[in-house]
Amino acid sequence: MPHQCVRCSTFYKDGATEIISGCPCGAKLFFFVKEEKLKQAEDVARKMSENLDEKDKLRMEQDIYQIMGYEEEDDTPVVLDIESIRVLQPGKFEIDLSHLFNTDKPLVYKLEDGKYIIDLPQTFMRSKEGKEEKDGKK
Amino acid sequence: MLQFVEQFIKRVFQDLFKRKRHVKIGLYGPPNGGKTTLANRICMDWIGEEMGKASPIEHETREVQIKEQINIKSGRRELSFNLIDTPGIATKIDYEMFMKKGLSNKEAKKRAKEATKGVIDAIKWLDEVDVVIVVLDATKDPYSQVNITIIGNLAARNIPVLLIGNKVDLRKADIKKVQAAFPQYDVIGISAKQGTNIDHLYEALFVVTK
Repeated sequence: MPHQCVRCSTFYKDGATEIISGCPCGAKLFFFVKEEKLKQAEDVARKMSENLDEKDKLRMEQDIYQIMGYEEEDDTPVVLDIESIRVLQPGKFEIDLSHLFNTDKPLVYKLEDGKYIIDLPQTFMRSKEGKEEKDGKK
Repeated sequence: MLQFVEQFIKRVFQDLFKRKRHVKIGLYGPPNGGKTTLANRICMDWIGEEMGKASPIEHETREVQIKEQINIKSGRRELSFNLIDTPGIATKIDYEMFMKKGLSNKEAKKRAKEATKGVIDAIKWLDEVDVVIVVLDATKDPYSQVNITIIGNLAARNIPVLLIGNKVDLRKADIKKVQAAFPQYDVIGISAKQGTNIDHLYEALFVVTK
């Protein structure tokens, strides 16, 4: 699956070393893009690079880190599922509620040592399992 | 005789548990539906203090707020619950909307970011609640994507729902339209601000938390 750098909008193929070590532009935050939505994502990226300056892109990156509750200083690259939250420009967000409500689908992919770790869904699953256990005891 | 005593003790204990239950009730809905105003009304009525700040600017509540140990009584019945006020759920958050309401560019962008995080937190909290009060603005079109998504997902998760049409004190309010949009629920029309029909809501809470 392709990945897109949030800061400079460069696309990388699945398994690219840049996803693990960080983009040459310095960013470590990536959008995860489905193959079938690659064309759409490229169009959006082109429009964004025409309309947004470097300061705006950096601001968007910082916003995403804060929304997701990640420390920016953390060296671990973070990969976001583009379908959950879309940042159109600083301060403009589109949220896919159906995707967020669906606890089976991962919200954020976190990359560590070259492996994907599904972050929020584990939290969801844990709380879901906890609830089921709690319900089972009733 | 022993059997009679046993049945008597059993009935007394069953009665006790029936009367006093403890649940977590979440307030959910789109922004500016009146969730915090309702939370404040409930808290003022039963514990004499407010829960949070309500505002005419959307997304005033951007963090989940919890008020613990609220006890409501009706006759011999008693219900004890934690009330969870959640940020408004939206599909689009645009800082320009806040600038139109008088916020500076910087404040508006910060509010937009926090509101987006609030939507994620609100949805995560669904796993923690036992009952949800969905608060809709009865003056607005109920057939919105947000309303349908929230209510549909609550049904899918089998979470008991109390559907509220708020702001019935306003002339534009149309509680019949809200009822028609969600016929599977008995919609309760209230004014959280004026306290209109709030007793009906408390009665319904006893039923939905059973």
